[in-house]
This record gives sequence, C-alpha cells and structure tokens, in this order.
Amino acid sequence: MAVSPTAEEEADIRIGMDRRVAESELPGAVVLERDPGEEVQRFEPVVRAMEEVVPRVEVVAPGTVLIDITGALRYYGGVEVVVDKLLEAVAATGDEPGVGGGGGSGEPWRVCRVGVADSPFAAGIAARTANTTPHIVTDTPRYLAGLDLGVMADADRTELVDTFRWLGINTLGEVADLPRDVIASRFGPVGLETHRLASGEDRATDPRPIPTELAVESRFEEPLVDLDSVAFVSRQLAARLIESLTGEGLSIHQVLVEMTRSDGVTRTRTWRSIDPLTERSLSDRIWWQLRAWLDETPDDVDPTSPIGITRIRIDPSRVSGEGRQLSFWEDTTSMIETERALGRAQALVGPDRVVVGHPEGGRLPAERVGWQRWGEPPPPVQRDPDAPWPGATPSPVPTLVPPRPQPVAMEWDEGMPVRIRMGSRWETVLSWSGPWRLMGRWWNREGTADRYQVVTSAGAVLCVVWEGKTYLAGIYD
Amino acid sequence: MTQSTTLTSIDGILSLPDTPYDIGPLGLQRGRISELVGPAGMGLTRIGLGMLVETSRRAPVVLVDVRGWASPGAAWEAGIDPDRLVVVRCPETASWSSVTAALVGGVGALFAEVPAGVGSAGLRRLAAMARARGSGVVLRPLTGELPGGVSHTRIKGMGVTWEGPHQGHGRLMRRRLIIEVSGRGVGGMTRRFELEDDGEDRLSVVPVLATGSTRRTDVG
Repeated sequence: MAVSPTAEEEADIRIGMDRRVAESELPGAVVLERDPGEEVQRFEPVVRAMEEVVPRVEVVAPGTVLIDITGALRYYGGVEVVVDKLLEAVAATGDEPGVGGGGGSGEPWRVCRVGVADSPFAAGIAARTANTTPHIVTDTPRYLAGLDLGVMADADRTELVDTFRWLGINTLGEVADLPRDVIASRFGPVGLETHRLASGEDRATDPRPIPTELAVESRFEEPLVDLDSVAFVSRQLAARLIESLTGEGLSIHQVLVEMTRSDGVTRTRTWRSIDPLTERSLSDRIWWQLRAWLDETPDDVDPTSPIGITRIRIDPSRVSGEGRQLSFWEDTTSMIETERALGRAQALVGPDRVVVGHPEGGRLPAERVGWQRWGEPPPPVQRDPDAPWPGATPSPVPTLVPPRPQPVAMEWDEGMPVRIRMGSRWETVLSWSGPWRLMGRWWNREGTADRYQVVTSAGAVLCVVWEGKTYLAGIYD
Repeated sequence: MTQSTTLTSIDGILSLPDTPYDIGPLGLQRGRISELVGPAGMGLTRIGLGMLVETSRRAPVVLVDVRGWASPGAAWEAGIDPDRLVVVRCPETASWSSVTAALVGGVGALFAEVPAGVGSAGLRRLAAMARARGSGVVLRPLTGELPGGVSHTRIKGMGVTWEGPHQGHGRLMRRRLIIEVSGRGVGGMTRRFELEDDGEDRLSVVPVLATGSTRRTDVG
C-alpha cells in the first residue's frame, strides 16, 4: 500500500499495510495497481528541480533520492541553506500539473522527508524518522548507536533482529560493539552486512576502479518512438552491461543513464542501489527512466515525424567486487540469491548445520572428509589427502556414511559372511571382498579391525569388524 | 547378465560435460521435482548426485541431509567440485519444509532427503516454488513415495547388480542399476532403464531396456 500524505493523515493508513485493512480504514479510497514506470515519470520533474540546486542527484527508487552535498555546502554556506534550497525547489514543482506530492501547498515539509548524515544508510533512517522538519544528524556514529534494532528489520533481517533481541541486544550500538568476526561466523553474510551498517559503514565496502570502455551504447538511425522497442532495448543493454561486468568479476551499484532524443535534447540520470543491480533490476530502471523521458516530449510535435530516442548509453559509475569469488560463484545473480538462501537456512537450522566439506587424508570414508561452516574460510588440512595412505578403502566411495560406524548383525560361517541384517530383513551375502586389515594405533590400545565390502541382492555395504563385532561403515547407494 | 554395450547418443546422459540443462527424464529439469524412490542400496543417491553435476559447474548446489549420512566424497567422485557442494543438515521434520523452501528460492539445484511425516501441503508448496524460481529439485523420500502431483518424474530403484568382489577377492568395481521412470516427465508412460555405474564418475544407460515403454500410468 502506497499512500499520499493527505490520506495518511485522514485515516490510520500506513505504507505496507494490507489492502483490505486499508480499505476498511478508508472506505472511499480508490485502489490503483502500482506502476513504477509512471512513478518515475511523475517524479522526474522533482529530480530535475533538485538538480538545479545540487548537480549530483542519485535516484534510489521513485520518490527517494540520495544527494552528495559535500560540494554544495561550500557553495551555499551551510547544511540548512542547502536543505532549504532543495525543499523550495521541490515545493515549486507542486504547482506543475501532473506532479504528485505537494499540490502547491507551499509547505514543502509535508512533501519531503529529509535526512542529512555522513552515510547513505544513516541519512535514509534520518529521513524516515523526520516529520515536519529536516533531520540533520551531526554525529552519525552516536546517532546510529542509539537507534533501536527495529530499523534493520527488513525482509532479509527479520529473523536476525529477532535473534539479537532474544540475546538481549536491542540497539545498533550494541551490535556494532560485538566483534565483527564473531558476527560473520555466527550469522554469515547478512550478519556481516548488518554489523557494517550498524557501524556506520556503507555496504559497498569494496569499491573498485571502473574499467574503461565498459559502458554500453546503442544508436538508432530510426528513432525509437514506441514503448515496446524501448523496453526491448533496455533489456538488451542491461544484459550486455551485466555480462561484461561479470567477466571482470564486478558487481554494479550505480549507473548513469544517458539518452539523446531526435530533437537533439540529451538527458542523463544516475540510478543507485545499495544491493548490486541484477540484470532484471537494471533493465527495469533503464526502462522506467527512458519511458519517463519519452513521455515528456512536447505536445506540439508533428505527428508524421514524432520525437524518438536516437541514442542510449549506460555507464557504470560505481562498481564493487563485493561478494565476488569468481572461482566459486560465477553468476552474479545466483551468487546473491544463493548467499541469501543459505543465510536463511543458517538462521533456521544453525550455522553448524550448513557446511561445506573438504578433502582430508584417511583410510575410512568418514575420515576423508573435513567440515567447515559455510561462509567461513577452510581450516588448515589436518591429514594430507594427497599422501599415499596405504590400506585406504578403495573407490568407489560409499554414498551414505554414518558419522560413527553403526552396529549391524552379520552371520558368519567359517570366517565367511553369510547373512547380514538390513533393516528388518536378513539378506543373503552374494559375494564379498576382504578382509582388509586396518592397523589401529596400538599405542592407543585401538587394536586392529578388518574391512569387508559385502554384496547382497539389496545392494552393497562397507563393514568393519572390530573385536568380534560388525559395524556398518557405509552404504553404496 | 546383459551385455554392456552403451548407446552413443545417450551415453553419459547424467554426466556428459556438454549436456544441456534440460536433458529429459534422467536429467535435472528446471522448475521440476524429480523423485527417487526405493530402499538404500539401489544406487538412487548416486543418480541424484549425478543430476547435480551439470548445475554445479555454474553455481553451488545444495544437499539437504536428514540422516546425517551424506558423503561428500561420493559427490566429489561423481564430479561435483568440493567448493560447490553445500550440505544442510536438517534432521527435524518440523523445520524441513521451511528450510527447503528457503533453499529453493535461491539455489539452482537441490537434492533433499525427505523425512517421514512431511505434509503434502509443504511438498506442494515446494513444487510451486521450484516452478516459480526455475530451480531443479531432486527429492529422496526416506520412506514410501511422495503424494501424487508433487513430482514431475519418479525414478524407482528396481534392482542392483555389483561386479568385482568374489569370495573375498577383488573389490567393488562397477554395478548395473535397474530403474523404472514414470510421471509427466516421460509423458505419463512407465519406462525401464538399465544404468551402468563405472564406480567413479560415469553413469551411462545400457540400451537393451532403454526403449521399452511398458504401460501407461498416472503417477504424479
């Protein structure tokens, strides 16, 4: 549910509220399907007005912008002056027909929520909590430290926040005070990102130089005038850009979209995302922006030669190597989605149960695997897997290996296995190989054991006979 | 015993390096659930691991281990890189549906053991998620079969024959697996295949039984 400030005041309606609940609160409300493209189109004059005051405006989503005001502070002489200028510019757009928001009320505070801080994350929270006056944060670390953990509770972090609360951690400052390596170990990538944000660090912590000639561009002899063609070209350009950046091992966080119209007008707009842009999300943003520009062409155009787009250029203006391990995760989108999925699994079953195996040396199948938690660096190898290991159980490796050998009933006849109990049934032994002697550490009073590969009509198993008892060490399933 | 003459066109159907992602009833299929039915020892885990190999070349794959008996060594032997196999241990039936749902939303291929007692609603939701996300899912119920309509293809272990050991001599070398494939993935027919497992990284179809459509069924 997306609502206007006016409706919000008239009834107890909040963004994100279920449609039915909102309708019950405000029965006369007209429900429209959300159209991000139209939102961008209606937001475009607002962005352009702000760009008249401060040139570097980055669009995060329709209705939300980030502005680096470092240079503007020197030019205008103070934060308050810059903010006032921006608000006046936005309020002026309220007089334009078709621009959502102000309605020319002359009260920009009702339209804009402004937060000023040292980092985009802190500024975003300050803006969300600002009401009638801009929220200017002078000490960002202290501001973040005092915030309740609830500001983090988005879709990906709900369980994490619940866990923190259960542990008695209720503010971002308390999260930031925890050792980062412990957080990373216990909560994985989501926990690490949360710790960074709570510490006042932006998520793009690994900025990389932008390789030359990674921008993608298309020129059209016949101007693009219909929206379907523009959508198609948007998808193509997004795919080309993502593919080239993936080849460089980079993720993209910010792009400059540039368009030239057939009447010679050129427009540029920066789009920014905290999470790396995927092909889909990038393609959507390009499409929304081009649609907004295409729709604002003058009305008095000769219908026989409509104004269209003759050139589109997409320039990556911020990239990072964050989360990129090309030898492992070769696909950008799958990398992010897989990390999130495994992070959720870790939250559900615990970090000790989401694991990755690595080869170790040993003679029994269970010994030949070392385990590490997913997301953590592999520990040093305990037993060299490339060493000869004479007497090791030959391949194939059993597909099912109990953590410890399980007692199993086996009948013998003059030293030869005859029957083995598989579940509730006795299976006749059809053939077997062994025994292969396994020398124990005599100094540790381990004695010796014999291994057998036993074949029945129900399959084959690996058994270990030790001190007269038979144990199941693996099933060849 | 059947003469082991492999058919070139379908040889290595489960592990050929250039095999396309959608290869038919014995390959992992995007957005579909393949079901492996039968007791331990019938080679079904090996078949399931073989289904993950192709996807693991591009992205990590996940094995949901209910019993705690999963053996990464066998997966590595089948051709999955150690770095690309993540094992999620989930012995609790109560959380199984939540865990697998979370994983299907983000991984390209998933092989999950299904504990007894998982409700059909959870399984159908998983099938819907796999369809929506385009994930390939292999389910191995530890008891019985999945409810109808969940799996697209059901692979049932019918028999296994090992070669190699003989009265104490030799060792396990290779095996023949008899499987019966049914469900929508094979057009509602039931087909019987014989597979040869060379004991290391190769599964191939033995042609003698491969063409034998037996009867029409409504499984799945």
